[in-house]
Amino acid sequence: MSDESASAGETDTDASALGDAIGIWAPRGNEVRIVAGSAIILALFPFIFSRMPVVSDLLQGYQSLATLILIWGIFALGFDLLLGYTGLLSFGHAAFWGGAAYATGVFSQQVSGSPILMVAAGTLFAVLLAWFLGFLSLRRGGIYFAILTLAFAQMMFYMSSSPLAFITGGENGFTGVETGELFGMFALESELPSVLGLLLGTWLYAFVAIITVLCIAFAYRILQSPYGMVFRAIRENEQRAEFVGLNVWRYRLMSFILSGLFAGIAGSLFTIHGTYVPLSSLYWTESGEVVIMTVLGGTGSLFGPMIGAGVYLYVENIVSGGHPVDFIAPFWHLILGLVFVVTIWMFPRGIWGFVRDVRDMITGGDE
Amino acid sequence: MALLETENLVKEFGGLVATDDVNLTVEENERVSIIGPNGAGKSTLINLITRRLDPTSGDIRFKGESIVDRDPHEVVQMGVSKSFQTASIFSNLTVRENAEIAALAAEHGSFGFKFLEHRDSLTDVHEVARDTLDAVGLLGQADRTASELPYGDKRRLEIGIALAAEPDLLLMDEPTAGMSPEETEATVELVEEVKRELGLTFVLIEHDMEIVFSISDRIVVLNRGRVIAEGTPDEIRGDPEVQEAYLGGVDL
Repeated sequence: MSDESASAGETDTDASALGDAIGIWAPRGNEVRIVAGSAIILALFPFIFSRMPVVSDLLQGYQSLATLILIWGIFALGFDLLLGYTGLLSFGHAAFWGGAAYATGVFSQQVSGSPILMVAAGTLFAVLLAWFLGFLSLRRGGIYFAILTLAFAQMMFYMSSSPLAFITGGENGFTGVETGELFGMFALESELPSVLGLLLGTWLYAFVAIITVLCIAFAYRILQSPYGMVFRAIRENEQRAEFVGLNVWRYRLMSFILSGLFAGIAGSLFTIHGTYVPLSSLYWTESGEVVIMTVLGGTGSLFGPMIGAGVYLYVENIVSGGHPVDFIAPFWHLILGLVFVVTIWMFPRGIWGFVRDVRDMITGGDE
Repeated sequence: MALLETENLVKEFGGLVATDDVNLTVEENERVSIIGPNGAGKSTLINLITRRLDPTSGDIRFKGESIVDRDPHEVVQMGVSKSFQTASIFSNLTVRENAEIAALAAEHGSFGFKFLEHRDSLTDVHEVARDTLDAVGLLGQADRTASELPYGDKRRLEIGIALAAEPDLLLMDEPTAGMSPEETEATVELVEEVKRELGLTFVLIEHDMEIVFSISDRIVVLNRGRVIAEGTPDEIRGDPEVQEAYLGGVDL
């Protein structure tokens, strides 16, 4: 640590020149550590989960689920900006997840199958939609806000189930997704070469993982920006925030739009991952799932919601298949409920809160 | 030109007239105290000025500009800051962050798109926050969580937040309520000091007569929403109507 600061002192002028050149994109503080740490964990995750001898037999994981966990992780990460940091409970984030999923599908069919452009299109759609719905929903606070968001999302579900069925495919979902190759060269479902193939598996996973790391870096920067502080201030004492001269309403709208942006990225990747958009992607249960994942993992933390997403999907996909014991398969909803209740009962701040408590116990509470 | 003016200001709650035709003028660099018995409409008047409540009729002007159509945060941005009766702070944020929030609003306006800029680069905000905490004597506790502070310090932080917003006019709603005598004394000193160093204009609501008479240039007495007397501390002390209405006829 002292070496680092000494060398930083010597290269100070260089560093500031570089800083001027790349401006706000220069990493600061813990950012390099967080990004590098996430990249390493995400690089090892599919191998440990689905291919590593012994461990993967215990876990019974598989490649496609690893990808899905990351996608929902992005969704929950963005949702936590709104719920955990700004203190707003939206019950209609399926609108952005499902909306982006449909937009991505239609875009791939009508315009371009480039995965990067598909994600850009879906995300743009979600951001515009979040701007519009946030503008309408944020007029009211608390339970009214939750119900308004729920109502708007259910309207979208209804719209895509019949009036707009000529675009969305109605009850059948959107089946015309045509995903092209990444950079026009790599089919997403094909294996990566050599060691990368063993670690990461497919191009699709690599694509999703890189976007996930970028999302983590982006979310972390938001939290370290004035926004992170303002969001928490609004959560703590909305009235005081207004009376120090902050436009609480516009900051809340930005929080809503930013969380819609993450939901949009995730929804777009969901379409690419499944090459299909089910009608249920707009259903209110999707909104509920992201709430449960976020709370389960721990609100008000960067990594908690992603872990919550992992645990939730694990129970939903692996335990429901009769693992570790066959007879629990039909009761997987019950198991999920129990996991949720026990976690929240024992650790009100979620799984990540528990992890932090343990870490504080070991290190004596220093950071 | 007066810094703050209210013109025929009226606020009715149903049939109750909480503010009855109030014409208040506060000049720059003046320290005005508003006193009156419970229910006289002191807090209502402050809440009208800070735009927490909408007036039924009348006008409020700050620096000659009407503020009745403004949002609360706009009024703060114009330079009217308020310290609350209770310690209205951001409990789970650190003491430093509490001051930084207010400094951010003062230095960078009510809203901005700086969600990609690291907070470390906002040196102006850090400076204002540090100076404010130094002024209210909380710099040594800057890294503590605000909820851990003793009550007196929370109230000082509350005043610090109001100051960090860099106001021209500071409205203080019972700044010493619930404080011990020592804390009260320290707060009075703080107010005096801030007045000297920053040249702020104050409007103070206070129950403690000792403070009111020692600190104010001018006193406004409210009763049942109306201004019944106005003048220097000496004039108010001798006013028979004030003694009757507010002090229950007891000689001061």
